[in-house]
Amino acid sequence: METRPWFRTMRARALVRLWSIFGEPLWVVVNMGFPVLSSLAFSLLYLSIGAGSYVGFAVLGGVMVSFWGNVLWSMASQFNWDKQEGLFEIYLTSPAPISAILIGMSAGGILATVPSAVIVTVIGWALFHPVVSASWGAVALTFGLTLASLYALGMTLSSLYLVYGREAESMNNVLQEPVSMLSGVYFPSIGQFSPFPFALQVAASLIPLTIGMDALRKSLFFAEGVGAVWLDLVLLAVMAVVFLGISEFSLRALERKGRRDGTIAVRIR
Amino acid sequence: MMNFRSLFAAAWMGIQHDLAWTTPAASLLLNVVAPFASVMTTSIIYWFGASHGTTGFDPTHLAYILVGATLYAHIAAYAWVPTVAIAEGKNLAVFPHIYLTSRSTAVYLAGRALSSFVISTITSMLALAAAYFVLGVFFHTGIPLIVTPLSLALLAVALLVNIPGALGLGYLLGSYSLYASKFEWSLPGYVAGLLMVFSGALFPPTTLPWPISSAAAALPYTLFISAARDAIIYGHLADYAYSLLFCAVGGLIMLAVCLRIYLAAEKRARRDGVLDRRLA
Repeated sequence: METRPWFRTMRARALVRLWSIFGEPLWVVVNMGFPVLSSLAFSLLYLSIGAGSYVGFAVLGGVMVSFWGNVLWSMASQFNWDKQEGLFEIYLTSPAPISAILIGMSAGGILATVPSAVIVTVIGWALFHPVVSASWGAVALTFGLTLASLYALGMTLSSLYLVYGREAESMNNVLQEPVSMLSGVYFPSIGQFSPFPFALQVAASLIPLTIGMDALRKSLFFAEGVGAVWLDLVLLAVMAVVFLGISEFSLRALERKGRRDGTIAVRIR
Repeated sequence: MMNFRSLFAAAWMGIQHDLAWTTPAASLLLNVVAPFASVMTTSIIYWFGASHGTTGFDPTHLAYILVGATLYAHIAAYAWVPTVAIAEGKNLAVFPHIYLTSRSTAVYLAGRALSSFVISTITSMLALAAAYFVLGVFFHTGIPLIVTPLSLALLAVALLVNIPGALGLGYLLGSYSLYASKFEWSLPGYVAGLLMVFSGALFPPTTLPWPISSAAAALPYTLFISAARDAIIYGHLADYAYSLLFCAVGGLIMLAVCLRIYLAAEKRARRDGVLDRRLA
């Protein structure tokens, strides 16, 4: 009985997100713009320099950038926007568990990004025919855990962004490109093919997308199975749990502080 | 004279809007991060692909990518400003008030775009310089850029000559923004992505299939990036002058056409009652 409100809240929040996207199919066109075009540009770059065998990296990068964009703009910024619209105070005063709202937002976000990711894949495969040599079980497991840890990071950011006011949008703009670069969305950023010094590779490995991209490339293009990427999978699972815990903790802390300082209902700072 | 005052007032407002949300130094620094990361990503893709592909790594080609990646991001950064000025202005009720004044909103948008041009020029050049040094260290190579007073002056002229074309694009997107109230936020991604593919920023337009390649080669932005490369990589003054001339002509035609489209869209938007509409 105790879990029912939690699941009802999660489903309700996920459905809001799904309706907002699928109720207006043009949103799919909106979301796919940058991932499709950047993946197209980087695929053509690989081709133009005689590295056609790596075109798949650019297509996979486009797919994962769709999700990363969704994490930044529809997870991290969401509570800040909800606060500006007056929704956040309703969340807090209702009996709805905040973790259910966050998980629902993530589940809805993932499902809503799937069409855009599929379109990037189809266009990339149709135009460039990248060579795939996959261990599908490992790909599926890695993909699932990458999304789980990435959206858990989004939950953490959404709680941290509440501390900021309008600066949150600027923070997103600042984060988007550097994280894409460090994570090696379009090229290997960790391991023997990385151009980065070891210390930077270690720092980059703290971002779930870095580990996820590395494992996805290994399992999708080099047929490495679960046995070969198990460490990546463990790391992704640990990151998902840790980020989830941090987001829950920081939201509670911010709620307490907001109550004390009387800033919960302050919409624009 | 009045239009110049309005232009400067709008440009100053743009500077305040873009930089005053924190200290100017911090804001400038944060504005460098994204173009720097974007240039680094593209350059590293080239390094990785060329090192493991059939052509092999060539520092001159890296310079080609470095300059192209910096400049497409620079164009994208200020070409979409009229869009955000309208979208944000409608949301916060600033734009209808600008419309009610005796000056044209086109002057306001030009001022906002010019302020963003100044900021983007500074941040792009800082990003280029930072990437030049960092990539040199990462790849243990010298990147052959010509850095002399003459080459920098030629680059500065090319940056200025590209303004009409980019402003034209801004007006065109602004015409859409007058009517839209949802999807205008996705335009920066589309503008940046389209420039990546069609402006010869990362690969020659001949990589694209015909007739797209011919159309891409004739774009003012492609000619601008080509002129900039002639100025600071190859030192080909004749090619520089040729590209810049056609960039100027194409840019002015684009500005004239797109300004007419914008003014017509504005007139129609007033008739349709959408100038102050916040939600679709």
